[in-house]
Amino acid sequence: MTREEARALLDRVLAAAGSAELEASVGGGENHLTRFANNEITQNVTERRHVLSVRVARGRRSGRATGNDLSDAGIARLVASAEEAAKVAPESNDANPLLGPQHYREVDAVDAATAVLGPEARAREVGRAVARTRAANLDGAGIYETGHGTIGDYGQLGTLALANTNGLFAYHTETSATFSISALRGTESGWARAESHAASDIDGDALAASAVDKGLRSRDPDTWAPGAYDVVLEPAAVSDLLREMNDTSFGALALQEGRTFLGGKMGTPVLGPEITIRDDPYHPLHLGSPFDGEGVPTVPVTIIDRGVARGVVYDRRTAAKEARESTGHGLPYPNTVGPYARHLVLEGGGATLEELVAGVDRGLLVTRVWYTNIVDPMSVLVTGMTRDGLFAIERGKVTRAVRNFRFNQSVVEMLQRADGMTAAVRAGGAVCPALRVRGFRMSSVTEF
Amino acid sequence: MNDHLRLALDTAVQRGAEYADARLVESKREDIHVKDGEVGALDRSESAGIGVRVLVQGGWGYAATDELTRDGLSACAARAVAIGAASALVLRDRVRLAPEPPHRAVWCSDCAVDPFTVPLERKLDLLMRCSEAMRGVRGVTTAESFLSFLRRRTRFISSEGAELDQTSTRSGGGLVALAVSGASVQRRSYPQSEGFFLARGYEFIDEVPWIENAGRIGEEAVALLTADRCPSGDFDLILEGSQLALQIHESCGHPTELDRVLGMEANYAGTSFLTTEKQGVLQYGSPHVTLMADATLPHGLATFGFDDEGVAAQRWPIVNAGRFEGYLTSRETAHRVGEARSRGCVRADGWHHIPMIRMVNLSLMPGRGSFEDLVADTDHAIHMETNRSWSIDQLRYNFQFATEIAWEIKKGKRVRMLRNPTYQGITTGFWNSCDFVCGSEEWKPWSVMNCGKGQPGQVAEMTHGAAPARFRNVRVGVASDD
Repeated sequence: MTREEARALLDRVLAAAGSAELEASVGGGENHLTRFANNEITQNVTERRHVLSVRVARGRRSGRATGNDLSDAGIARLVASAEEAAKVAPESNDANPLLGPQHYREVDAVDAATAVLGPEARAREVGRAVARTRAANLDGAGIYETGHGTIGDYGQLGTLALANTNGLFAYHTETSATFSISALRGTESGWARAESHAASDIDGDALAASAVDKGLRSRDPDTWAPGAYDVVLEPAAVSDLLREMNDTSFGALALQEGRTFLGGKMGTPVLGPEITIRDDPYHPLHLGSPFDGEGVPTVPVTIIDRGVARGVVYDRRTAAKEARESTGHGLPYPNTVGPYARHLVLEGGGATLEELVAGVDRGLLVTRVWYTNIVDPMSVLVTGMTRDGLFAIERGKVTRAVRNFRFNQSVVEMLQRADGMTAAVRAGGAVCPALRVRGFRMSSVTEF
Repeated sequence: MNDHLRLALDTAVQRGAEYADARLVESKREDIHVKDGEVGALDRSESAGIGVRVLVQGGWGYAATDELTRDGLSACAARAVAIGAASALVLRDRVRLAPEPPHRAVWCSDCAVDPFTVPLERKLDLLMRCSEAMRGVRGVTTAESFLSFLRRRTRFISSEGAELDQTSTRSGGGLVALAVSGASVQRRSYPQSEGFFLARGYEFIDEVPWIENAGRIGEEAVALLTADRCPSGDFDLILEGSQLALQIHESCGHPTELDRVLGMEANYAGTSFLTTEKQGVLQYGSPHVTLMADATLPHGLATFGFDDEGVAAQRWPIVNAGRFEGYLTSRETAHRVGEARSRGCVRADGWHHIPMIRMVNLSLMPGRGSFEDLVADTDHAIHMETNRSWSIDQLRYNFQFATEIAWEIKKGKRVRMLRNPTYQGITTGFWNSCDFVCGSEEWKPWSVMNCGKGQPGQVAEMTHGAAPARFRNVRVGVASDD
């Protein structure tokens, strides 16, 4: 949906508002995904959809209705439904007036070739990749996914455009391309993944080569005892663990409810001196939306500066409680989640992966982690598994495969004990480096 | 609307699909969430769209659209065929579908009181009163209450002649009380974490004693702040039903999905330790353990007349008296384990996503005895209740769960509350250590509302029935470091 199409649609909604104060947003677009396993395509899908969401505000009351019938009759039904909900909703102490027009930074996140990439092109790229896994006598499995718009991983829709009866209009769209491949033989596997706004950055063959290399080196793993090990975490592993910290810790609501390790720590060192964490949609590896679900322009926020706690992200409700401005990290109002840092950046360093490995006498190289979950939110104690390439590091060299571990590790302590990092890359929706961490807690061994 | 389906199907066949089905899904949903006396969500949503699935030269294609016009539907079907042809470019074996009679039927779940006719005021009043009851407990810092209702009508036709029209309604909700003090965050929820849902109408909401339990969970959340830490070591473990439901889901449900077993999920959710040579051979659990898959379970969230590829609902053993027997299968995969017919486990979470193997309702069959009998029979154990976190490896061997609360049982009596309980194990060792499953009087159907699988990711809902059970010598407390 182009800017003009979005504006025309939302104008039709605003025209149906009558005397009500109304906010309307549209999300969606197209998503295409080719899935392969056992060196063949097993699933191949495309979806096109747009969803309209309407919030009617009556003083301090509001109600929301959402639907995908974009006809005039469908719009009238949505407005009536939201209006009815607003009439019976209790008055809110948190309600803010509708925003007026805002100024947003331009973010060019559309790659024209990616927007029109078809199933044959995806099949060709997959064909090149599985030719390599087949040649290595491994099974290739993975995805090649492209999208245009705001359809998320689990079908959730981000905001493409937002408008209200007070003159606000915001629009952002983007393209995306992701290729992920596992190279497997039985329970042994290697893995690689790349993500970008442009499909031209995707090289399925090179990713397959990397996965094959790890898959072949994963043979006959040694069994190491549980314990604390020095580890080098590749960016995909760092990204997953950082996401758990973000989910529990970087929003102002968590701070105001006393649920984050940052509580009472602003201005003091909380993580290691090499750690700087920001939220920045304008980072060249993110190119994310310049506004949030409330239409507030998103400003970059430094959360941790060289280990020192500097801030959290705000929406309008949490900002009002502290008499400050929103940083533009809100979800559509109202919600129970609070503000969220959507574009995390863990700044990288100058080391190479080999240099990080060279600094470990006896430890582990972790390709990827899996099924992470919070055990304790205050210490960001996370459990999860290593996966798809766990290797021994002995006297500064990667030597052999090791059987996978379950870990129970505080991410706060992990980032206090990080002492080396590579340059940051885009991985798992964040921008982050590989990290070397001392004393990472592996708690049990699995069967492979 | 049937014309829409027919147009899409005919277009797909005319363009070269050797098999095609079309699924029109219309859904209606209402979500109401109250947090600390404020409305956090008051959302009503509707969605309608169509998904067209085809086989072209033996390869799958799927396209979905909400442009329900003649042009939109024709274009969608054409896209599906083009995608199927692209799949055939990288194909080892042509997809072969197990036969299924082309059913023609109308099916509807039970719903005595249509939740969409119940006034919003009544629902808000219930949630506000629950919120007040929790917040009335000194020390409760956050109180949340929520209700959610979903109705989905699915019309399905296939090039084999199936014509199905199914409607299901589900209702449910939950309460969560949080207590925070210093570095400790304690949570209690009711009736289970993530809410309690059944395929019923508003009459189900009226039967649950929400208010009566709101104050109790608030008091327990506060008491947990000063409770003793759950000890670490090997203990006998008693799990209440809702935690056991998630244990069943993660360590039995997912590893018996045949698409996982065959490697189709290898890059994302993983594969499975329950490889095909173990079928009928592996002693998965002790003789106390019988797990039944059941798409006919009354009021189950994964109960239907027919699955999303038109296969009739069935009931069959996955684990029978401890022995691993059955898989969750589809028309595409059934022949890989020598079965002539699909078990009917294929579902999608909406029109926009392709149907795939999803867990149907999967339950641990009851044994004998009340919960009091179980406690009286126990010398020393940790009794854990209500899930707080979960994790399991990609082959489904090594798991770790945390629960919200635990109690120490000594000499047949509950002696003290314990905070931050966790347990960990290897699936087959764990289920083989089961030596007591309570009887049918303790058996309840619990819900899982957030089952993620597939790429693009899909969220499915299902029911797992369970009664409390005991497991010997389980590793407890390994995650604790406070």
